[in-house]
Amino acid sequence: MKMEQENEKYEKVLNILRESKPELYSKEDIEREVIKRISKVNQSGLNLYELIDFLFSWIYIGWVRRSLITAAVLLVMIFVYQQGVMLKQMNFLSRQIIVTGGEMQISTDQQVEKLLLMYKRSGRRFPSRSITISEKQMKELIDSVNNIQIKYKDLMKLIEEDSELKKYVENKLIENNRTKIKL
Amino acid sequence: MIDIKLIEECRGGNFNNFRKLVELSSPFAYSVAFRMLGDEDQAKDIVQETMVTIWQKLKKIKTAEVYKTWIYRIVVNKCYDHLRNKKRNREHMADEKTWSILSERISQMPSSQLENDETARIMGTLTDKLSPKQKTIFILSEIEEMTSDEISEITGISKSVIKANLYYARKSISGMIEKYL
Repeated sequence: MKMEQENEKYEKVLNILRESKPELYSKEDIEREVIKRISKVNQSGLNLYELIDFLFSWIYIGWVRRSLITAAVLLVMIFVYQQGVMLKQMNFLSRQIIVTGGEMQISTDQQVEKLLLMYKRSGRRFPSRSITISEKQMKELIDSVNNIQIKYKDLMKLIEEDSELKKYVENKLIENNRTKIKL
Repeated sequence: MIDIKLIEECRGGNFNNFRKLVELSSPFAYSVAFRMLGDEDQAKDIVQETMVTIWQKLKKIKTAEVYKTWIYRIVVNKCYDHLRNKKRNREHMADEKTWSILSERISQMPSSQLENDETARIMGTLTDKLSPKQKTIFILSEIEEMTSDEISEITGISKSVIKANLYYARKSISGMIEKYL
């Protein structure tokens, strides 16, 4: 009984609300305002759309679109290949530096000084091995290498000047099955 | 009556025809917006914004039925956004006067139509405790008398959620009516 009364009241209230349609008093104002706003939208929107159409309408042509996709894929492939080549070259160059460093020749006092400085800065250690030697020992080593080089040059000069000695050395080299050295 | 011919004529960019479409559409769009928001100026703004949106999307409207669904969808979504923002500084309305208006109208046989401010007051009081979603579903279902399918199409809310929210809204409103009326 109570439930029915509740429902009845609820339905009555809803009926009142359903039947009371809110009145729109200024319909003309809304019409005017809407027309004003869409005129503005049309004026600003039309030019922009026309410009976009003019500039980019060609992308909707089938063959242009397909060509662009192909070109883009090709460019990406070239880029990846180029990166690979560059990486390979960089690795190769970095190895080259190590080799050149190993073959470094010492001929002047300035170079000796530089080497000594490098040696001092590296904590008096050779990069390849962990053997610590004194500065004096290092200088002696470099001096002895330089002396050997000078002596070698002198010896070569002597061989060059003496034709008999030159011939003798060449014969000896052939005997030893060594590669012929052109003096 | 809105027919597809009028919509097709509007698509050509004819402002006069569109003016006619606005004239025919704005009363029911306003009715929904006013019932949801309870404010004349806000409801008018919503109607204007809705009609501008309709103008921009006229090409997509193929039938008169689709047009009506579209207009409801735009109005309801705009009002729903409004309600969500409004909820933060919600003010409780004077209840006593609302209930006296309602009891007076119920006793009248037949009951006379409510004024806009009375409608706003009653709707505000009845739906004050509801969330924007519950309020939207209640108005569309109970006041605009739409089916669950129609509400689902307009709001994008699933039918089961609509039923659950409607159940809660009915319970809350009938509880208030029972208590104060």
